[in-house]
Amino acid sequence: MEMVVLPGRRARRLRRPSAREAGTALLFILPCLALFVVFRFGPAIAGVVLGFTDYTIGGDTGWVGLENFRRLVDDPTFWSAVRVTVVFTLLSVPLSMLASLGMALLTRRAFRGAKIFRSIFFLPVVTSLVLAGVVFTWVFAEGGPWSSLMAGLGLPAGSWLADSVLVIPALVFVSVWSRFGYGMLILLARLQEIPAELEEAARTDGASAWQRFRYVTLPQLRPALFFVAIIETTVSFQVFDTVYVMTGGGPVRASYTLVYMLYDQGFRYFDLGYASAIGVALFVMTVVVALIQRLTLGREK
Amino acid sequence: MTETLVPPAAAPTPPLPPEHRRRPYRPHRASRSWQLIRAVLLVIGAAITLFPFYAMVVLSFKPTGPVTFPDSLLPWPFSAEAYDAVFGAKSVLRWVWNTLVYSVVSVVGVLLLSSLAGYAFAKKRFPGKETMFWSFLAMLMVPYHVTMIPTFIIISELGGVDTYWGLILPTLANAQAVFLMRQFIASLPDSLFEAARLDGCSEWRVYVSIVLPLIKPILATLGVFVFLWHWNDFLWPLIVGQSTDMRTLTTGIASLQQENVPLNMLLAGSVIAFVPIFMAYLVGQRYFTEGVASSGIKG
Repeated sequence: MEMVVLPGRRARRLRRPSAREAGTALLFILPCLALFVVFRFGPAIAGVVLGFTDYTIGGDTGWVGLENFRRLVDDPTFWSAVRVTVVFTLLSVPLSMLASLGMALLTRRAFRGAKIFRSIFFLPVVTSLVLAGVVFTWVFAEGGPWSSLMAGLGLPAGSWLADSVLVIPALVFVSVWSRFGYGMLILLARLQEIPAELEEAARTDGASAWQRFRYVTLPQLRPALFFVAIIETTVSFQVFDTVYVMTGGGPVRASYTLVYMLYDQGFRYFDLGYASAIGVALFVMTVVVALIQRLTLGREK
Repeated sequence: MTETLVPPAAAPTPPLPPEHRRRPYRPHRASRSWQLIRAVLLVIGAAITLFPFYAMVVLSFKPTGPVTFPDSLLPWPFSAEAYDAVFGAKSVLRWVWNTLVYSVVSVVGVLLLSSLAGYAFAKKRFPGKETMFWSFLAMLMVPYHVTMIPTFIIISELGGVDTYWGLILPTLANAQAVFLMRQFIASLPDSLFEAARLDGCSEWRVYVSIVLPLIKPILATLGVFVFLWHWNDFLWPLIVGQSTDMRTLTTGIASLQQENVPLNMLLAGSVIAFVPIFMAYLVGQRYFTEGVASSGIKG
């Protein structure tokens, strides 16, 4: 889900491959290959197949065809989880990308301290979401920093985590806080590659700062923005750790997301067939959204 | 369990010969007012970003009992009793150990296995190589939550629930690591390996004494990422380490929170979990923030 580099075929060397060379090569790959067969290739197929069975821990397994998916479609909990996950993603991805873009533009030039700011903004990305969840639970608590700040601004105070409408914005805030540094680094890397001549030329032609950004920088950033959008959407769809720590899916399922439901069904009720069906549904959603993004953000002008 | 997300910007490449280095970017001087606005915005951003870390540390050094905001943000009354309690708890020390085992063994395993495979994919020829490599890479497309359930079933059938090997083994199949290793080793000139082979070195010897020293940069980068990934991992340890004794720091702290442990102890545990993250970050710093995009995005 990460790298999209296609290595070109290298020129064929003149040496013919010997049986011995092939033998050692396979020997070097063998440990990896064995692990891949057992823990990647097998589960990749089984993960889909399980969705068509009623596999439960400690129970008999039978083929049930589309039954799990029929159950999903009729399950109001599932649709509520889809809605919660989509709303969360629609809020967190654009906000996180805005923050990424803003901070990338602000730390773009090599001034004194630029590196320190970049490091600060990336720190939450490498911090465990469980730790973030623990601290933010306190931040959002009744009478805590967040509710005091909101009261000062005349916005809804009280505990946002206990409010069925405000719980999602609270989780979105944590998500943006923890993710924007990643997008910032990707965009920075791309910004460094834009030839300085382009902007200088626009400047000479009398383009304003906004025009230079809009007609020079932004088009150049497009592929990078598309890349960040795909990654962040995938990450957002899979939100789990913070929900588990901060809300437990509550109040009243207001933050009950898809992966949380998958965990609930699979590892609390041990209904692994149903959980696998949720996994497949999540995958399909991710692919559909990636295709939509490809058609909108990713198309070349 | 999932692939480590190495930012494309962080993948190192061997140094370029001088004539290929990019000329330093000398921008137009920023105007005074812009510099001021930029500074204000950055400081606000940094304050918001760092606030939770500050709160975590300060609140962990409070005596047990109710603290009210905003007084709670002052560094007094100062007390290390939460740390005494946490270090006195056998279970917490055990979680630190578990997390270390999970992270360190996984790092060593991933680096060893993926560099061996990466070397073979990059410099050896054998039938079916491309197909095998691409099938490894295709695994990056398969979502984690789809494979997680069967992986758990396999591990539990093999009796790996609540064991270290059950926790570690599935994470050793890391497609991204194999990919990065292959890319890096492919960029090294063949002559380096040919000479040793003509001198009659065994393949293993070539790997140990030539490949490993040459790939130190990528070993370091990947090592930091894989370490951080495992140290912070949550869902996999949550389902595999079910007994109290087999929790990692992340799952342990989450369980403490559900048991309504006092905030200062919860945060003391969090600080302990954060220190290695911070140290790994300082070590791996330059890979994150100085790396110029060498992959991922071809504009």
